Amino acid sequence: MPITRRAFVAAGGLALVSLGADPVFLDRAAYALRAAGPVASGKTLVCLFQRGAVDGLSMIVPAGDSWYWQDRQRIALQKNQLVPLDDMFALNPRLAALKPLWDQRSLAIVHAVGSPSTTRSHFDAQDYMESGTPDVKNTPDGWANRFCTNAAEHVNTPFRAVAFGPQLPRTLAGSAPALAIDDLRTFGMRAAQAQGEQKLTRAFEELYQGAATGLVATSSAESFEAIKMLKTANPSAVAPANGADYGKGKLGQSLQQIAQLIKADLGVEIAFVDVGGWDTHVNQGADQGQLATRLDELGNTLAAFTTDLGPRMRDVVVVTMSEFGRTVKENGTGGTDHGHGTAMMILGGDVKGGKVYGKWPGLAPDARYEGRDLAVTTDFRAVFGEVLHGHLGAADLSRVFPGFTGAPPMGMFG
Amino acid sequence: MPIRLPAPLLALSFLTAATASAQMPMTAADSARHVLERLSYGGTPGEVENVTRTGVMKWIDQQLGYSDVHDPALEDTERYYDVLRTPVADMVAMQNDQQLKQQKAQAVADSTGREAALAAIRQEQQASKKGLQFLLAGLNAVTVVRAAESQRQLDEIMVDFWTNHFNVYENKSQDRSYFADYLERTIRGNALGKFEDLLIATARSPAMLFYLDNAQSVAAGTGVAGGRGRGGMVVRPGLGRGRAALFPPPRAGTYPPLGAGDPMDSASAERARKAAANAPRGLNENYARELMELHTLGVDGGYTQQDVINVARILTGWTIDRKNGSFLFRPGAHDQGEKVVLGEVFPAGHGEDEGIRLLKMLATNPATIHHVSSQLCERFVADAAPDGCIDDAVHAWERTGGDIREVVRAIVRSPDFWAPANVDSKVKTPLEFVISAMRAVDGVPDSTPRMAQQVGRLGEPLFQKQTPDGYGERQEDWVNSGALLARMNFAVALASGRMPGVTVDLDKLVPLTEDHVSLVSEVSDAVLGGAMTKQTRETILKELADVPNARAARALAVGFAIGGPEFQRQ
Repeated sequence: MPITRRAFVAAGGLALVSLGADPVFLDRAAYALRAAGPVASGKTLVCLFQRGAVDGLSMIVPAGDSWYWQDRQRIALQKNQLVPLDDMFALNPRLAALKPLWDQRSLAIVHAVGSPSTTRSHFDAQDYMESGTPDVKNTPDGWANRFCTNAAEHVNTPFRAVAFGPQLPRTLAGSAPALAIDDLRTFGMRAAQAQGEQKLTRAFEELYQGAATGLVATSSAESFEAIKMLKTANPSAVAPANGADYGKGKLGQSLQQIAQLIKADLGVEIAFVDVGGWDTHVNQGADQGQLATRLDELGNTLAAFTTDLGPRMRDVVVVTMSEFGRTVKENGTGGTDHGHGTAMMILGGDVKGGKVYGKWPGLAPDARYEGRDLAVTTDFRAVFGEVLHGHLGAADLSRVFPGFTGAPPMGMFG
Repeated sequence: MPIRLPAPLLALSFLTAATASAQMPMTAADSARHVLERLSYGGTPGEVENVTRTGVMKWIDQQLGYSDVHDPALEDTERYYDVLRTPVADMVAMQNDQQLKQQKAQAVADSTGREAALAAIRQEQQASKKGLQFLLAGLNAVTVVRAAESQRQLDEIMVDFWTNHFNVYENKSQDRSYFADYLERTIRGNALGKFEDLLIATARSPAMLFYLDNAQSVAAGTGVAGGRGRGGMVVRPGLGRGRAALFPPPRAGTYPPLGAGDPMDSASAERARKAAANAPRGLNENYARELMELHTLGVDGGYTQQDVINVARILTGWTIDRKNGSFLFRPGAHDQGEKVVLGEVFPAGHGEDEGIRLLKMLATNPATIHHVSSQLCERFVADAAPDGCIDDAVHAWERTGGDIREVVRAIVRSPDFWAPANVDSKVKTPLEFVISAMRAVDGVPDSTPRMAQQVGRLGEPLFQKQTPDGYGERQEDWVNSGALLARMNFAVALASGRMPGVTVDLDKLVPLTEDHVSLVSEVSDAVLGGAMTKQTRETILKELADVPNARAARALAVGFAIGGPEFQRQ
C-alpha cells in the first residue's frame, strides 16, 4: 500500500518556520522527514492501562500466603472460587476467561511489580509509568513514543502508534507521530454527501497546514494522513471473527477496533487503551461488587480479543499495567488504600506463559513495603524492556528508559 | 528577571513596546481581544469595540466586581431551571424514592420476568419528568447558558476553574443528589471570595465527603460511625455499583436480628446483612491525601504518609446526614487522640474544631499559596505558569489573606499576562471552544442539555471527570488528532445551522454578499476579532470559488473560521 508522507513534510516545513515553538515539535517533524521506508515488523504491542491502581492481590491472588486471608477478612475471595495457577497464585474467578490462555502458555504474569518511586499519588505514579522515568517529572515524552523515535526503524504510517480514547496518553506523547482515536467509525469529516466530505477534508487540511503551529499542526497533519488511509482500508467493515464477543463496554469497543486496525495491516506497532474504575477505597467486594465487575469486563474483553485475532495473536502482545497496587490489609470501609507493588499480565506473541515471573516477597508484615504494602521486586521498566526487546525487537533501550541500568533478563520471550 | 511594569501603564496599552521594542505594540483592540479571550468565554460580535470603548482596565475591574455587573436578562432565564432552586433535601428524597421504585421493579422482574420489569422502569422514568435526571439535565443546560450569556463572564470562568480544582464526579451514586447544591452554593457561592472559606465549604460539603469517601471514614475501633444506632438514618443498599449503605446497623460488627417476629422479609434481611458486613470500621485515607495533594499543598508540598493518616484521623466523624443531605459531625466516630500534621501538634480531646484548625492551617501554608497561584497563572496566562506571574499572585494572596479576587487582579496586572508570547498562546478546552463558538456567532442555546452534550462529545463531559484531579488546562490535555477533527465537524454543523440545541442566525452576523473577499473580511472581523491569518483567508477564498450560493458560501466561511486553527487558541 502506498503511504504518502506529504502531511509530515508539510508539518516539517511549518515547524521550521515557527521557530521558538517547543523543540519537541520540531523534533517530531524532523523525525518524520528523516524516516525512510523500512518494512513494518508486523508486530503489535497493545498497552492496557488500568488507571486508578488495581488491587493486584485481588487480580492475581496469592492464595498460598496466609497473610492474604488474615488481613482481608471482608474482601478475600473464597478458596473454592479461585482459579488455581500454581502452588502460590490463583486467578480471580472473574478473570476465568483468561485461564485457557494460561493453560496454552500464552499468558504470563509478573507479580510484585511496580515503580521504585515511593509516591502514592495516582497522578504522579501514572506520570512516571507513562514517561518511563520514575521520580523525574520534567521528561517531555512517553516511553512508547521514545521507542518509536529511537529503538527501531518502521514503515512510515500514521498508525504506527495509536491510542484509543478522547485524549492522547502521556505514554505516546512526544516527537514521533501518534494518533488518538475515540471511535474509528466517526474518525473523519462528516458531510451529507461524499463530495462535501472530500471538500471539507481538503479545505481543513489546507487551513491547518497554512496557519497551525506546534502540537495543533502536527496532530492535525496526522489526522488527515490517517483519514486517507482509513478511506482505502476501511477497517471498520471487518466483523469480529471466531464468534468473539467484546460486550457493550468502551474497553471492548476499543479492543475490537485495535483488532480491526491490526487486521487491516495499517502498520500499528503500539496501540494504547485505558480503563478506569480501579480505585476501590470503599466496599471493593470479592467475587461480586465493583472490582469484580471491572475484572469481569477485563477478562472477557481480553479473551474476545485473542479469539478474534486467532492465529494473528502470534504477532500481538498485550501488556496490562497500573500505577501502583493497594494496601495488603483492607481498610476501615471494606476497601483498600493506595499501596505499592501490583501485578501485570503479558499475553500473546512468543511469550513464555503459564508462569508467574518475579520474586514473591511475601505478605508478612516485615516483608511489606513500609509495613503496609506489597513490596516491589520487579521494576516495571524491566517488563516493558523485556517486551520491547522480545516482541518488537528493540536492541538499545538506553534512550527509551534513560537512567535505568536495566535488570537481568527475565527470559519471558523466545 | 523580566521587566516589571506598573499596572496603570497597562491601561494605556503601551506596555509591549516597553518590553520588547522589536515587537509591534499591542493596540487597544488587541488588548481588548486578549482580555476577552482569557477573562471571558471569548467575545461576542462587536464586543471588542465595546470593551475598547469602556476601557480595558475598567472592563477588568467591572468583571472583578468593583462595580456590580447587572444582568437581569440572565436572571430571568435562570428562572426556567428548577435545579437552581431545588433544596438538596428534596433531591435526596427524590433519589431515595427512585431507588425504592427500582427495587420494586426488580421485585417485579423476579416474579414476572424481565420484560415486565423493564416496562415498569420505563413507565417510572416517563412519570418522573421532574425527577433527578431532569434536574441534572437542567444543571448541564444552565451551565452552558450562563457561560454563553452571562455578563459576569469572569464569575463563570472562576466557577469552571474551581469546579475542576475541587472536582467531584456527579454520577457517583449519592452525589447525584448532592452535586447541584455543591456547584451552586459551595463552588459558585465562594468562587471569588476567600480561598479558606472555599476550602472549608468543600470539606464540609456532602458532595466532597461522599466523593472522596470521608463520610465513611471512622476512627479505628469505633466501628459504627458515631455509635448512636440507627437514629432515623436511612439504610439503603446502593444499586448495582456495590456501594451498599454507608451507614451502619444498630451495633458495630453485629448482624441485625433475624429471629422470629422479625418484620423484615428475606430480601431486606439480606440487604441489611450486607450493609452490616460493609459498615465502616476504620480509617479511609482517600480525602486526606487528595486534600493535600490536589486541593492545597500540591504533590511536592512536603507531607508524608504519616501526615496523610493523621489528616484522615482529624477528619473522622465529618460525615453526611443522609436524611437531608447536610453536613454532620459524629463525635462518636471521631478519633480523640493526639495527632501531628506537618509538625504541628493537634492535642488529644478535640472534636470538629480541630478539622477547622487543620483546614485553616492548610489554606495558609506557603506551599498551598504557591500551588494554587501557579494553577491560576496556568489558567490565565500560560500552560507553563511564568515565575513572575506566580510571584505577583503569591504577594497578593499574602497581602489579602487569600482573597481570590485580588489574586486574579494581580495576575491580570502581571506583565506576564500581557507578554506577546502569552497572547493567543493557549489552546481552548472543549468547554471554552464550544462556548466561544456560540458567542462568536451570537448563537442562542436552548433550554435542553444538547450543547452541554456537544462539550462532552469533544472530550469534556461536564461534571463527569471521575478522578479527583479535574479536567486539565494544558494543550496536551486536549490537542490530538481525533479531538481536532471533532472540533472541525462541530464548527461546520454550527455554522450551517445543523447543530441541535442552538439557534444561529448568520444574517445578524454577516450580511449576504456575492463578493467573497468582503465576505471573508467580515467573517474575520465577526468571528476572529479580525485576527484571521493571510493563509487562512486565501484558503477560504479558494474553497469558496466553486460555491455558487451566497448563503452556502457564508456558512462555509464561518465554519472554516471556527473550525480553523486560529479559533482553537485563546
